Amino acid sequence: MGAALSCNLSNQYNLYCILLPLYILSTSAWNKKLFPPPLLLRLPCLSNSSRHMRFVSVKPYPHQNPHKRRTPRTPSFVSSRISCMALSDFLVTDDLTIILALVAAGLFLLHNLYKPQPLVHPILLGRQSDVARVRNPKESAVMRNYGTGMLGRFPVRPAKEQQVLLDLVKPDSDSSRTLWSTKITNPQLRQRVSAFGTGLIRVAGLDPEESNVLLLLNDGIEFLITDLALASHSIPSFTLSSPSVLTPVLEEHPPSAIVVHAEFLPQLLELIHDSNDGVHHTIIVVGNTDLDKHLGAIRLLKWEDIERQGAQADQLTPATPKPQDVFTVSFFATPDGQLRGTSLTHENLTAGVTSTRALLPLSGAISPLDTIVSAHSLSTAFGRAVAYTAVFEGTNFATLKSSQFFTAAETTSFDLADLKSVESYPIPSPTLLFAKPSHLTSLSSAILDEARRSSFFFHTLAWRHKFAGIVDGFLTKQSLWDRLVFDDARAKIMGKGAGTVRGVIVAGAPLEAQALTPARIALSVPLVNSHIHPAVAGPVLASHPLDLQTFPTTPATSGSSAADNFAFAYQAPVGPPSINVEAKLLGVDDVAVEDGADPIGALFVRGPSVGKLLHVEQGEENIPEEDRGWVETGQVVKLTIHANL
Amino acid sequence: MSFDLTTPVNTALLLYILYTVQRILFPSNSVPSTVPIEFKSGYSWMPKSHPPTLLFKTYTPKTLEPFNGEEGKRILLAIKGVVYDVTAGRNFYGPNGMYANFAGRDASRGMAKQSFDVEMLTPIDQPLDKLEDLTSEEIESMKGWMDHFSSKYIVCGRLVENDAT
Repeated sequence: MGAALSCNLSNQYNLYCILLPLYILSTSAWNKKLFPPPLLLRLPCLSNSSRHMRFVSVKPYPHQNPHKRRTPRTPSFVSSRISCMALSDFLVTDDLTIILALVAAGLFLLHNLYKPQPLVHPILLGRQSDVARVRNPKESAVMRNYGTGMLGRFPVRPAKEQQVLLDLVKPDSDSSRTLWSTKITNPQLRQRVSAFGTGLIRVAGLDPEESNVLLLLNDGIEFLITDLALASHSIPSFTLSSPSVLTPVLEEHPPSAIVVHAEFLPQLLELIHDSNDGVHHTIIVVGNTDLDKHLGAIRLLKWEDIERQGAQADQLTPATPKPQDVFTVSFFATPDGQLRGTSLTHENLTAGVTSTRALLPLSGAISPLDTIVSAHSLSTAFGRAVAYTAVFEGTNFATLKSSQFFTAAETTSFDLADLKSVESYPIPSPTLLFAKPSHLTSLSSAILDEARRSSFFFHTLAWRHKFAGIVDGFLTKQSLWDRLVFDDARAKIMGKGAGTVRGVIVAGAPLEAQALTPARIALSVPLVNSHIHPAVAGPVLASHPLDLQTFPTTPATSGSSAADNFAFAYQAPVGPPSINVEAKLLGVDDVAVEDGADPIGALFVRGPSVGKLLHVEQGEENIPEEDRGWVETGQVVKLTIHANL
Repeated sequence: MSFDLTTPVNTALLLYILYTVQRILFPSNSVPSTVPIEFKSGYSWMPKSHPPTLLFKTYTPKTLEPFNGEEGKRILLAIKGVVYDVTAGRNFYGPNGMYANFAGRDASRGMAKQSFDVEMLTPIDQPLDKLEDLTSEEIESMKGWMDHFSSKYIVCGRLVENDAT
């Protein structure tokens, strides 16, 4: 109702303001008997014969003898009069009737016609992915986003000019924005990148296309500059999605140089010493360290020195790399502990930026006025795509404390305190959050607890109204109930973010279906539930941002394992493939699917934003061209009728 | 003016007003337990079933032959080992269509020679037509037909010899 009111604000408020007092007036007037007793009641007798009003006195005048009978009437006259009187007894109307009728009509119109429009038409939500007409045995059909279609081409870059990574830093946009703690413009960033690149080649002695550099940096402007410099000089970089893969990577893929923070340096030196390999490492240290320049075979350089010396020397202009060149290899661990690496090309990243930009509705697209806060480290493929989206769009950007892996401190958990850690950066209040599900659930439960604490009755009423709006597909942050109840709670929990956050994208782990409605009500902003994979830059599957459908818990299906039943019954749907990914499921039960059951199988993806896994299956060359390139994500996915789970 | 709330009409109207006010102030929060299958029936709806997909199967001339559209069955047609589902073109390939000869059969030779005669079809129990005696123009026209079929109809299987499976 609050949503309905805010929909057509002036009209409804006026109508409501007129009708409600009218109604109250009429009932109170009757209660207080404001009108003196000896009044004539005009009773329009709505009999069939006559419709004109007749005066019939019902209450006796004071001077009349109440017991005096009137003259008896003749029988025929009595019957017609009785029928008229009987009918008119039932249909007795008066001025109050007119008022009540007006009020009833107004309320009828209000209740039935002023229903809020859903944010996105439900017919679109029934058609979110385009499915191929044929499927191979034991596989599901190939699916793409409905917007791309089975015959459409995948968008590979945000615009024609963005061919390689450095092009994502648009040279002609001059406005300054804050990246972590540094206020910088795009031309300045490019200058720093070029200086650092020159320094790397001249001072650190790296060879383009020969050396490779391991980035053990936490997220920060140094990571970005190093990454862009290495990419533009065609020096592949290695990144690790978690510190646990450091040892295997050092053993199997020894890098020529390592860039590391000063506080992680002792641990790194210990590891190198333990692994005892004879490779001469060059270590570039960010920050202040008091260790010697040379430690045995290891050469220590300072990051700031390299940049400074590079800026003073003649700037090298490297050959522009091709979009299909690999610029980084991201190492991650599978759930069973094996090391996997995926090589990402410039094209993967530009495609990842394209699909990340498409996550939000067109009406609320990312603009330079936004501030993006990400919980995903730049060392992961998705985190990199988000960071480069921020760089491309010219927004302010920062990452959360939990994305800092390479610290001596303990790892932080993904919760509210983590979200607030972004306040330590001098960025404006965040507008877009790329968070993990645990961040979302802790934030929404904190907001709802605070709202419940402050006013219990209003909170239940507000919840009812907002949920009724969600059931109709409408949600807004400016409704009456937000103003009464939720805005205060949000302001208390999120501070200035309460007013600025306008979209939340959840990725990284499955989101529970039960957490979806509380999160929608608590935040009242477009919420995207997406599925990511370490090998894919950008989201793999992402739900529609204005999708507010609420389904009852899916019942268990026969023929699937208990674990699957549990998992799929309680998880929120993740939506169709993103705009430049096509997906299929392998290992599907054909018999069940032909009978109409939902396919369940392992997810395989293909597309311009999907990187290539380093270890290639035997016999890959035997697969025909159109079947090549499918990357196994190793995750089991269930296809519900219009969205993936 | 005087007001009497106990008259039937007034009571009825009053009850309706109270009911509507109650529905407006305390809206219903019920989510239907059966998900509607039409978007008109509710916002949280789902289509009745998955979009229909055909399973890619391997056919032999004998298993392909029943699919000639009689009794409402699907109509399949093979060219050079690729089986197409041409049920959408029932007017042409169905039982009374112009090209009904090709339904459920290997139509490669007919497509190459642009002919719909029965002589173009090889009997079912014999090995597949090797198409060795075709000229290059005929092979080209057959390929053209294959492109036409690939874009207009669905590729749903492949055709192998009778004893291959």
